[in-house]
Amino acid sequence: MAKRPRKTVATNNGDAKKAAVNLSDRDKKTLRDLVSLADRIVLDADKKRDPYLDIPARTLSNIKYNKTKRFLEMGSNSNRRQLFNLSQAKVYMQSLLVASGSKRLIDEGKTTSLRGLYYMLKHSIEGTKEETFDDQTQSDTIIEDMEVTLNSMREELHLYAKNAGSMVGPITLTDTGDEIDCSRMGSGGYSIPSIVEPEVVQFGKCTAKFILHVEKDTVWRRFNEDKFWKTHNCILTHGGGQPPRGVRRMLYRLHNELKLPVYCLLDNDPWGYYIYSVLKQGSINLAYESKRMAIPDAKFLGIRSRDYERCELSPSVKINLNDTDIKRAKQIAAYPWFEHKKPWQKEIEQMLKNGFKLEVESLISKDISYVTEVYTPERLKEQDWLD
Amino acid sequence: MAKQPSKNGVHAERAPKPKNRIAAAEADIEAAEAEDHADESVGEENGKEAASNGRKPRRATAQSMAASQRDISVSEFFAKNRHLLGFDNPRKALLTTIKEAVDNSLDACEEAGILPEIWVHVEQTGPNRFKVGVQDNGPGILKKQIPLIFGKLLYGSKFHRLRMSRGQQGIGISAAGMYGVLTTGKPVKIVSKISPKKPAHYYEIKIDTKKNLPEILNGKGEGVDIPPNEAGRQYIEKHGIEWVEIDHGTRVTIELEGKYLRGRGSVDEYLEQTAIANPHVRIHYQDPESGSGQTEEKLYDRSTDQLPREPKEIKPHPYGIELGMLVAMLSDARGQTLSQFLTSSFSKVSSAVASKVCQTAGVGTRTSTAKVGRNEADKLFQALRETRIAPPSTDCISPIGEELLLKGLHQVVPGEFYVAATRPPAVYRGNPFQIEVALAYGGMSSANKVPFDVLEDLLEETDARTLRQFLTTTFYGLGSDAADQIIKEADLSPRTSASKMKPAEVKKLHEAMRNVNLESGQTMNVLRYANRVPLQFQPAACAITQTVMGTNWRSYGLSQSRGSLPTGPVTIMVHMASVWVPFTSESKEAIASYPEIQKELRLGLQSAGRKLGMYLRRRLKVKQEGERRNIFLRYLGEVATAVSDINNADRKKLYEQLLLVAKKKTATADAKFNERGEFVDPAEIELEKDPSVLIVEKPSEFGIKEKAKGNGQETS
Repeated sequence: MAKRPRKTVATNNGDAKKAAVNLSDRDKKTLRDLVSLADRIVLDADKKRDPYLDIPARTLSNIKYNKTKRFLEMGSNSNRRQLFNLSQAKVYMQSLLVASGSKRLIDEGKTTSLRGLYYMLKHSIEGTKEETFDDQTQSDTIIEDMEVTLNSMREELHLYAKNAGSMVGPITLTDTGDEIDCSRMGSGGYSIPSIVEPEVVQFGKCTAKFILHVEKDTVWRRFNEDKFWKTHNCILTHGGGQPPRGVRRMLYRLHNELKLPVYCLLDNDPWGYYIYSVLKQGSINLAYESKRMAIPDAKFLGIRSRDYERCELSPSVKINLNDTDIKRAKQIAAYPWFEHKKPWQKEIEQMLKNGFKLEVESLISKDISYVTEVYTPERLKEQDWLD
Repeated sequence: MAKQPSKNGVHAERAPKPKNRIAAAEADIEAAEAEDHADESVGEENGKEAASNGRKPRRATAQSMAASQRDISVSEFFAKNRHLLGFDNPRKALLTTIKEAVDNSLDACEEAGILPEIWVHVEQTGPNRFKVGVQDNGPGILKKQIPLIFGKLLYGSKFHRLRMSRGQQGIGISAAGMYGVLTTGKPVKIVSKISPKKPAHYYEIKIDTKKNLPEILNGKGEGVDIPPNEAGRQYIEKHGIEWVEIDHGTRVTIELEGKYLRGRGSVDEYLEQTAIANPHVRIHYQDPESGSGQTEEKLYDRSTDQLPREPKEIKPHPYGIELGMLVAMLSDARGQTLSQFLTSSFSKVSSAVASKVCQTAGVGTRTSTAKVGRNEADKLFQALRETRIAPPSTDCISPIGEELLLKGLHQVVPGEFYVAATRPPAVYRGNPFQIEVALAYGGMSSANKVPFDVLEDLLEETDARTLRQFLTTTFYGLGSDAADQIIKEADLSPRTSASKMKPAEVKKLHEAMRNVNLESGQTMNVLRYANRVPLQFQPAACAITQTVMGTNWRSYGLSQSRGSLPTGPVTIMVHMASVWVPFTSESKEAIASYPEIQKELRLGLQSAGRKLGMYLRRRLKVKQEGERRNIFLRYLGEVATAVSDINNADRKKLYEQLLLVAKKKTATADAKFNERGEFVDPAEIELEKDPSVLIVEKPSEFGIKEKAKGNGQETS
């Protein structure tokens, strides 16, 4: 990206005077990137050229599986977004709105939620009844676009997502100056924030030996109620389905900084598989974040396709696969990072052969605490997991 | 319509049976020639034929049958078969009467070179009775001719010649008079004045249906002269004939059983359509309600003072005649040599052609026509067919012309785009004809602009049982889809009885008719004309409608489902001018489908269609281009603000610069379009200069659209 240092400095000075906010180095870098993006548009307009943004493509075709690093990386393909293109004009405008919104947040030293930014930027276009954004999904997608375009993370744009995911276990940490003991969090646990960077969250004392990540809140509650983390000395987390970036970043930091192995207990269905895949290799959509989030050593504990027979579950817990499930399962089996793993191929094949999927909750049909008292301890003991 | 030429000529010598003769009358001059002697010949022929047929006596003998076999007069025949002449129902009878009278008046005026001015007066005299008065400023009719013209079927000046005119057979007005007498018993009243110096003459006539002869009732069979003073005026008053005082002209008054309804197929419609095709005519019209003071006299004023070019009379072309006709002509041409006969009786037969014909037929050019027998006539007929003869001269036709077509259509049909196409003359069966097409696009449907009180009246008068039926039958171009849309909008039931609607419901309906956009639900409105006379009935049987439906309008930017009329706010008028228009029946409602006629119709429709297509394409392009730029403009402000928020750039300057880029961008898009459609664009520029095209610029709804258009013109 072409930089124009002189102008950038001037702008920063002006803003600093106005807002009197202490800008961190990261903020300064983000601001420089934002300004140079805007400068290029001014230059294009001045030269009567058609302004555009090149946005790195966030698609499967632009994803590379790095075999040595064992996570997904983003390729170099990008999509050109033009103002003077009928199908892109509005998105182009929205992109710049997001950029200017982010600039304002940085200038004022504030952060806002994704939804907050949506409301901040939503207004009707002058002279029309058209809204800049129709719903939040539009602005959310564009925020991700701007992240890749500016090569900045969401938090660098002063944005955060809503909290989703909880954690409990023998660990203390400091969150924006407050000490938190995760072994004394009651039934709700510590709500993992969207931003868990070292500036925000610092780890204290930790005696846990591993991390057990479960798919959703209901299962997590079961484990917490049974004090599984106490008996097995582990950190217990959930990500409310597909884990948000805060949860993934937290797991990554726990795994890498405290050297804790990560085990996942997820549903036996394509969505469970993909949650595991995202934790392990990173997501297709946010491949540029993989290096900060992927945990290539994470293990898939269950539930397994064979558990229906192994655990002698009641036939009523079966959920028949529908067409989307089957299609998705085949897609996942064909991903390069699953393609050469025989156990995984067998696992998916088995599920397709079964013709049904199993949720973690289905184990309850054996006994309420079967999952915490029998199933998980046994798997861990036998080291029976998929990699 | 083509009468089968007899194989051996036997029938040709004898007159055909009366019924056949009448059926073929409008196409066959021979029949008419014979008609003059109808009284004495028919009986004989009839008897002969019956006798030769009745060889096997079974239930009746030839003798007993002969007793009941008798002469049928043409008048009697039509009295029984009134539907053949367009008197099938009271509503149509009223229209046909006015139509015949007006057509005759227009023909008379034009022939005399007078700019026609017509007074039409319809007055209700009883529950189902109407008095129709039609007056013209024509040359008037000689006293001795009046009874024959108005009181004898198949009497007239137009049948025996090949010349373009509205009337053809000489049936119309006398049939109308006959219908009047039959239904009300009131005589036909005629006033005619041939010069300011002579008094107007007044006749009361009844047609004797048995003898097909007029019977004069007043003045001891001599008629009455009306003095040009106060006494005369009183006389006129007394006899219920409103004579408008003019120097010369004719007024016919017929009282008949009828029904007055507005809407499709009405008198009002006929006069309106007549005004479109006859921009040189002025019509004063008093409808039945004007007497009761409800409506004013309506005036359809002329938009030009130019009379149409006088059509020339031509001799028949050899390709158009039939064997029987040839034989009759031969027998008429006493003492001529064959060569003389051929060159003098036919058009485009030179002496060289005549000798070639004689050679082919194997008869001498100097043979006397009297000596030409049945066989020779047949050979001669074949030879005429086989010899190459130049097509008839076409100056006998007087088309309306593109300019006047545009004027006429523009004056009556509101729209934004008009195009006219006059085809060069062509020939079918030896008869020259010419096709003209004019098309109007845009504007509101008649249903959109109907005033509230008129709607109330229409609802009151209608025969339609349901509201849906009422809408589709009353308004032109309103299809069932559009009707459903209106009814839905008005929140009424489609089965609502049209005549029993409550005032509140009528109000809702009126509101809905105004608001519903009928542009898409509208079907093409086809106005058909033959020799400037509107054809209002039997659209499905007519070659014009069939050809319009058979034309692919989709390629001209209209939507159309296979084999039906296209949809859209389009009015198309198609005119066939010919010395002899081949109608499918005597009531002159539909044109017969000759391949030559269909071909010309198709070419004319295509020519108009192509220009419409260009216009619609351009309109669409301007619209798209406008929308395109609109979208860009819409976001430019936001982009400029966002950018200047980020880097403190001058917002206004940036916005203006972006605006320039936007204009450049959309302009280059134009250029690309032009290159791709090279064929399209040069022609589109010509569209404005084309004299056969009229584009009415309407103030644009969106400023942006106008801007885009202006820009497009700059760059092209």
